[in-house]
Amino acid sequence: MIKILYFGRLRENAGRREETLALPDGIVTISSLKQWLNTEHELDGALDDPSVKTMVNQMLIHDDIDLSGNEEIGFLPPVGGG
Amino acid sequence: MIKITDISFNPTAELEAFTNANRDAGAITSFLGQVRDEDGCVNELYLEQYPGVTEAGIADAVSKAKARWSLTSVMVIHRTGAMGVGEAIVFVVTAAKHRRAAFLACDYLMDYLKTEAVFWKRQKGTNGTEWIEPRSEDYKDNKRWST
Repeated sequence: MIKILYFGRLRENAGRREETLALPDGIVTISSLKQWLNTEHELDGALDDPSVKTMVNQMLIHDDIDLSGNEEIGFLPPVGGG
Repeated sequence: MIKITDISFNPTAELEAFTNANRDAGAITSFLGQVRDEDGCVNELYLEQYPGVTEAGIADAVSKAKARWSLTSVMVIHRTGAMGVGEAIVFVVTAAKHRRAAFLACDYLMDYLKTEAVFWKRQKGTNGTEWIEPRSEDYKDNKRWST
């Protein structure tokens, strides 16, 4: 199962802090998952905003990667500092 | 020591404990950040972390500070959750043999915490609720250390 975490304003956009789901049919990469989530939660492209960073298993990723279906994925809007 | 907590803490008691544990340090510098009321416009500040990632980032910044200056000990306490005006948000304490290292490391860590630390900040006040991002001055302050 994939665990997805939404932080900051994205939590409000997605209407949830986290969700756990099986990789949907045909979704094998992080970019296709983002597209799927954008549609599923009517995020209006919020996850594709260049300021939003993606972490897979708590590591920052910069390129598209394949998913096995057991990852923790975090979507991070710009951090606000302490 | 790094502590991220959603429970309010007492900086005075923390400083006393730190000082007692670092009797050999010749210099101790501390910085306390607390919730401003912005002329009565702010009622609450809410901070969110990414458990694991936030602490790892702070630990990395502390390691960099220790590599850069000769430090005896470092303590970072950071709040998450909802905080009222006047409540402590962040407390950084650095101990060194001499004052310069303690001052500089404390300043360096605060610049990291204000711009790069993985926290999301939401302010609730008379103008509604908004997510806050670092000010341009914060980024400028943080760049001082890259030379």
